Amino acid sequence: MCLPLAESPAEKKLLNLRVVPAGALALGVVRSIAHGTFLVSVLVTSFSALGTLPVTILRPTGAMKLLPWGFYDQLLTPSGMAILKTAMLVSLILSTTGLFTAISTKTSLLLVVFYQGLVRSFGHFNHDEMLAVYCLAVLAFTPCGDSFSMDHWLRRTKRHRPHWAYSYPILLMQLLMAWVYFSSALIKLRVAGVKYLSVDNLPALAIFHSLDNLHDTHFKLAFWLPQVRSYLPFAVALVLAWELLFPLAVFFPRTRWWILAAGIVFHLSTLVLMNIFFPHQLVLYLMFVNWDAVARRFRTPSRPVPLND
Amino acid sequence: MLTSKLTNFSLPSERGLFARYVILTAAIFLPLIWAFVYVRNLYPIAAWNVMMAGGDLERGRDYCILRGETVSGETIDIPAIELTNALFSRTWTMVNATIRNQSFKLSSVHPENLELIRGAGGVENLPSGARLPDLLDAWGRLYNQRLPEASPQRLRAIRLDLYRWEGRTYSDYARFIQSWRKDL
Repeated sequence: MCLPLAESPAEKKLLNLRVVPAGALALGVVRSIAHGTFLVSVLVTSFSALGTLPVTILRPTGAMKLLPWGFYDQLLTPSGMAILKTAMLVSLILSTTGLFTAISTKTSLLLVVFYQGLVRSFGHFNHDEMLAVYCLAVLAFTPCGDSFSMDHWLRRTKRHRPHWAYSYPILLMQLLMAWVYFSSALIKLRVAGVKYLSVDNLPALAIFHSLDNLHDTHFKLAFWLPQVRSYLPFAVALVLAWELLFPLAVFFPRTRWWILAAGIVFHLSTLVLMNIFFPHQLVLYLMFVNWDAVARRFRTPSRPVPLND
Repeated sequence: MLTSKLTNFSLPSERGLFARYVILTAAIFLPLIWAFVYVRNLYPIAAWNVMMAGGDLERGRDYCILRGETVSGETIDIPAIELTNALFSRTWTMVNATIRNQSFKLSSVHPENLELIRGAGGVENLPSGARLPDLLDAWGRLYNQRLPEASPQRLRAIRLDLYRWEGRTYSDYARFIQSWRKDL
């Protein structure tokens, strides 16, 4: 058990910096958001349907290759998948509500990593959930159950740790999100170079993703893009610039609203133009909200709610 | 200032937490940087190479439509996501990989696939989509399970139609190539 700590002058200065003014409550809320996102996702997913697919089309990817075929034969049955779903639901309910947090955040991480590996072994890598998986990894090894958790409510005593014990994990998760966008833009520029700004890049890609009925949505807006193709290099350049500038959202709170708003527009655009959507990643934008300030507002309703600033 | 604060701990528990955060940061970011440098996804290590190559109008593209033939004689489009929603965002690549017999080209092939390869005398002798009938059968049964026994909307067959957009122009998107059909 940690002992109460008085704020040192250095720590007070650190608090005044307010790059990430997050306390135990904010980290607890982010834990609930990240784990809750997977909880909802597992709740609405039919695992038994997945269990009816033939194991012979599976192509284990990465670490999933370490498991023997006999294991997949047993797992990929309706009953095997029902057991997996039950285990995931129990663990994710515990970690979302913050009960036995030190253990449940780790079991949820393991189960989610395994399940995400399994679905990737059917299809392609798909990056939507990966940021959330990394956030679960951060949360599993940080004191995210010290507040906004059943553990805290049952314990009824406050744990005192230094401010950075809570703010650094949130900073780390924000940096991970910044890395996602920043590295994505750099890879595009490395692989495709200026060709990425060709007039046909976006329409050709968007139309391809709108032709079949195997995507999750069937928007046909992509077929309108050839009519405006001369403007599209500017739109693509704008997206690349936004991705490259995303790290500013972490370090310069004044830019945060604009960058996150542009992100929402971007992800909704990929949905209607390309039938590709990243809901898990979008939900994690909520980690940029200053949850401590939100909590303070509920105590003193007259104060405005800022983002992390 | 941050460094001086983080290295000037008043309690051993703070030192332990600091060490844990250093290890956590390295354990997450070092693999990510490796994946970025080599542009390689090695689950669970990710390189964010989504759409890195962009679209190319000169390149043709194949795509599939999943359809069902109902007991009443109608042909209907079937959104695969409604059958196996666990494969959110992945159904189309799963089907493409199955058409290309990718599960037969692994370093460790499933024993049943190994038998099929032996029977055919090699992977190259397998027809494209050798496991598609199994996939279609699973989808067809899932579809019918959700309907009453007497429903005219139940499927008597399910099929996957493969089309090609040759590219070069923004037209002629649907040149029919091939179909796989499974009676239910």
